[in-house]
Amino acid sequence: MVKTYAEINEKIKSGDAIIVSAEEMIKIVEESGLRIAAEEVDVVTTGTFGPMCSSGAFLNFGHSDPPIKFEHLWLNDVHAYHGNAAVDCYVGCTRMADIKPFEYGGGHLIEDLVAGKPIRLRGNSYTTDCYPLAEIDTLITIDDINQAILCNPRNAYQRYICAVNSSEKTLYTYMGKLLPQFGNAHYAGAGELSPLNNDPDYETIGIGTRIFLGGGIGYVMGEGTQHSPENRFGTLFLKGDLKQMSSEYLRGVSYEKYGTSMFIGVGIPIPILNEGLAKKTAIRDEEIFTEVVDYGIPRRDRPILKNVNYKELKDGMIDLDGKSIKCSSLSSIFHARKIANELKEWIEEGRFLLNPPAETLSQDTKFKPMRQISELKFVKDLKREAIICYEDCDLKIVAEKIIEENMNHIIITDRENFLKGIVTSFDVTKAIAKDKTELKDIITKKVITTTDNEPIELAARKMKLNEISALPVIDDNKKVIGIITSEELM
Amino acid sequence: MTIINCTLPFGVVKDVNDYSKIINEILRYDITFNILKFSTGSGGVTLLLDIPLDKVDLITESLIKHNVIVNKKGRVIVDDDKCIDCGACISLCPTDALHLDINDRLEFSYEKCIGCLLCLDSCPRKAIEEM
Repeated sequence: MVKTYAEINEKIKSGDAIIVSAEEMIKIVEESGLRIAAEEVDVVTTGTFGPMCSSGAFLNFGHSDPPIKFEHLWLNDVHAYHGNAAVDCYVGCTRMADIKPFEYGGGHLIEDLVAGKPIRLRGNSYTTDCYPLAEIDTLITIDDINQAILCNPRNAYQRYICAVNSSEKTLYTYMGKLLPQFGNAHYAGAGELSPLNNDPDYETIGIGTRIFLGGGIGYVMGEGTQHSPENRFGTLFLKGDLKQMSSEYLRGVSYEKYGTSMFIGVGIPIPILNEGLAKKTAIRDEEIFTEVVDYGIPRRDRPILKNVNYKELKDGMIDLDGKSIKCSSLSSIFHARKIANELKEWIEEGRFLLNPPAETLSQDTKFKPMRQISELKFVKDLKREAIICYEDCDLKIVAEKIIEENMNHIIITDRENFLKGIVTSFDVTKAIAKDKTELKDIITKKVITTTDNEPIELAARKMKLNEISALPVIDDNKKVIGIITSEELM
Repeated sequence: MTIINCTLPFGVVKDVNDYSKIINEILRYDITFNILKFSTGSGGVTLLLDIPLDKVDLITESLIKHNVIVNKKGRVIVDDDKCIDCGACISLCPTDALHLDINDRLEFSYEKCIGCLLCLDSCPRKAIEEM
């Protein structure tokens, strides 16, 4: 059984086409078998609705009088990128407003623009003979501007990882709020509803494919950035006309202590051209696997702890070394399903036809890490010998060591060299001021530490975040093996 | 059961141990209750208590007589207009007060909320607010 795009479109036009969502397709294949499903079903619709940080928009405002060539411009205080023609710009969803960072950003701006709200446009220029105006401050709406094109270099990840946190503190990440000691888990992606999972070999999704984007019609421009097909981490480069879209499917978001982004609704129709595609679109959450990754390790190659499938993830609990961890999504399954159903309606009503891609997507693009020419330095490269006092020693001895060794930080350990605390020269001064005579009265017991293999940059960030100037270096057994201070980092 | 938030304001309390006034007051009624949270802040000593629904009025009246400020503050509310049903808050909720309904929409069961507030800064739409 082989169908063509033309045959499917004819059936759509005559109202005879059978369109089902990816979730419905699973049941149809289960009940009727692959052969009948492939014959009867013409199109399977997919959907996803999640945060997509690469998103942004190209805007053209038209010319002012006298004309201006922007050097810098802001939309509702969100700095837009201007490095092209006089009144063009690109505004990215993660760019945060100068005035309300972490509350309002490019994503919120695009949502407001699409909702028809007035947007404040401010800009300045160094002025030229042809563009003499130096400053502008005006209000625009989406109807006032010429083009408003959503243009997202990386959308619709085939699947994404599941994030957990092994560290001792709460992490605020682009994967949401991750509680310490594996307190929770977050994942993203719509699983069996997700577009690329239903066409994993990119038979039908390629350059020029017409899609549902943000409630309007959009197109696939090609493979997305960081497209990694061999690992089943394919991505898409998408564009669409914001003037057709709805703010229901474009939502600005702000992740605590991370920044802003935007949720985007994407729906892609998969034509059932052959039995193979019927099989692929019947994929279930149980068959889609992803990795549980430890964000407690702040490195590029974070440890992979295990594989899980989307069924487990959607059920809300994953098992990690015998511990049940509560797990939830960052993207909305409800809205993904709504998008797949809305696209289904569009096709049923004959308002949306399918088209073959001009070219298919790459199957072998590699996602490479960044080339860095400076060598990564670790704590072990810069640490020095720690000056140690035992926990039962006299405060006077600590003071003497500070002077003798010309060191502001004295590490306190027991006889076995296990870390017990830290005392600074300021603590000793304070002791004198407040008539304290015992070491135990001034010792800081909760000590932030580092290890030999921590990159220097991360040790420096720990000092900055905690407003401290030294970190004891400890080994796997929590024994003190050195110290690193802000002086070594200078 | 329902949750009340009781605060002994500084000025009224002379000692942190005065919080026992709250407990002793409730113990007079011979009921079972849970202490969900104990905290001292700039406002005074605060206890989050889980008490039987039918005793709320009785206990509230009695505590107010002893200068304890009683309110239902401490729990959260979800603004459905802002919520986009993503689920980023769900894994943080220890009691499943925040969960998905059968249609995968976010549902908030107010009576299950214990006011831990872990979810408060997890919402990317700022749809969760402390009451």
